[in-house]
Amino acid sequence: MSLLKPFSKLPGLNTANILLVENEEQFQQKLADTVVLHEKNVNVNVRLARSLPLPMENEESRPRIDLVVFIIHLTSELSFQSAETSLKYLDPGYFLGKVCFLVTNARNASVPPERLVSVRKLAASLHCPLLCAEDQTTEGVTTAAHRLLAILKVAAGLVPMATGLYLSTFTRCTVPSDIDQQNFE
Amino acid sequence: MEERNSIVKTPLNNVLAQRRSKSYRRSMQSCVEATNLEYTSGHLTALRTPRSRRTPKSRDITKQVDPDQVALLVTKEWQLSYVTPLYHFRHTQLKYYSKQLSAFIVSEKQQGLAIEVGQELGFKVNFSVVLGLAEMDEDAETVFIQILSKQAFAAKDDAQKVVWSGWLTCVNGDLEYLRSLPSEFVSLPLLCTRGPESLTVLIKSWFEKTFDCCFGPLGINSTNLQWLAALWTGCHPTINIQYLKLVWTLPTLPPMDVKYTIHPQDAWELWDSVRQDDITDVSIEEVTRFIKVLQSHFFRHFRIDLSAGSLMQVSTALGSSHHSGKIKIASPTYITTILQLLTECALLKMPI
Repeated sequence: MSLLKPFSKLPGLNTANILLVENEEQFQQKLADTVVLHEKNVNVNVRLARSLPLPMENEESRPRIDLVVFIIHLTSELSFQSAETSLKYLDPGYFLGKVCFLVTNARNASVPPERLVSVRKLAASLHCPLLCAEDQTTEGVTTAAHRLLAILKVAAGLVPMATGLYLSTFTRCTVPSDIDQQNFE
Repeated sequence: MEERNSIVKTPLNNVLAQRRSKSYRRSMQSCVEATNLEYTSGHLTALRTPRSRRTPKSRDITKQVDPDQVALLVTKEWQLSYVTPLYHFRHTQLKYYSKQLSAFIVSEKQQGLAIEVGQELGFKVNFSVVLGLAEMDEDAETVFIQILSKQAFAAKDDAQKVVWSGWLTCVNGDLEYLRSLPSEFVSLPLLCTRGPESLTVLIKSWFEKTFDCCFGPLGINSTNLQWLAALWTGCHPTINIQYLKLVWTLPTLPPMDVKYTIHPQDAWELWDSVRQDDITDVSIEEVTRFIKVLQSHFFRHFRIDLSAGSLMQVSTALGSSHHSGKIKIASPTYITTILQLLTECALLKMPI
């Protein structure tokens, strides 16, 4: 099994690499363009993939990936399932602050609410942050890009005194447990 | 001196910090207890969404409900909306409501006209009660509304025809919720309408003014459409469903619609093999497995994965339901099961 390993390669100077994994391949292109446009101080390389595992041919030339972002569209069940199967091909070292989930269409009324709940449970069980993004307008894409850049810079080690693991203790997704709900009732 | 000052200061700070946190907790609790607004983070909705339902039993509904009234409800396509509880709605005052509503409609239609132009299209409104649809004591009785009017260009003696009809109902609503309502409120969360949109808007605004309620569109999301598909297929032995048709929309460019029609006997055999031995309850896992098997069969033949799209419509001979909130019940045998599912959807969609 070809696992993607977080620390098997040397980092580049003032460089951050982000991998966007999306089954539908629509949002990742827009997001990649915006991310590269908005970051002036750091060299950001954005790599796009449909799913993991990544092809073996590029193994040598691929740089060290600092942040893996799974983009899940809540309107289709397939998006969620493909993200789930891709998770198996990540080395466990990535889950210490180098993985992020990005969800679109979370406010859509036609989406069954159980899907968002199951994505939240998945993100909470892996201790990863869950971001909600709006992919139809430019402001939404820009906001999502800024948030991803903030997490990317920490994960790449470019922010002093902060590491990915430290940040993830604050940003990780939580699902309120049944005990908390009973207190409110 | 300074040391004593610091010793004196530190406990004060500590006490202040404690008091602040206690009052915050108390105010949070009182805030939550006083209002009934529960912060639903989606987790509560997932808790309230049922994971299993009773298997639908075929029942001759005509024993409980007047067959003429049942005929009014079936074989017609209805548009669904949800309604928040109605304040001071009395089932005994229906005649009074009819008169008020007809006067309101006539006045709204004549707004802006100084002189009466054209024929007088007298609107007559009929409020009636459909007894027998409510399952439990807490359910309010179904109210049926009809608007009759003379057609334009009709002869003088022509009878008035039904222009608009609608009904408010509550079947097997959530017990806890119904019991928690104050006594002045009547909850009839499901509204089914059929007729011109202008009249629907007028009637909703009259209800909002008279009973202080809110209306909203109710769609049937893909999970509930899957429930309907499975429940209808499960009814095949008792009443022949004749076909199981599922319509998906795939997000391709241009968007592709897939109509997937399945022979009823095959659908029934598949459903039977997915079903566990528990005959009283149907669980959501069985429903998802049923739909997944249908999707994988389609994939094997056409290499199109239907789970990438969204389920839009489910129809059988027993009825059809569309994602945008249109429902048609073709046969009165399983009407209570469908209404129970729709009442649940309406109660979950309501803002309070």
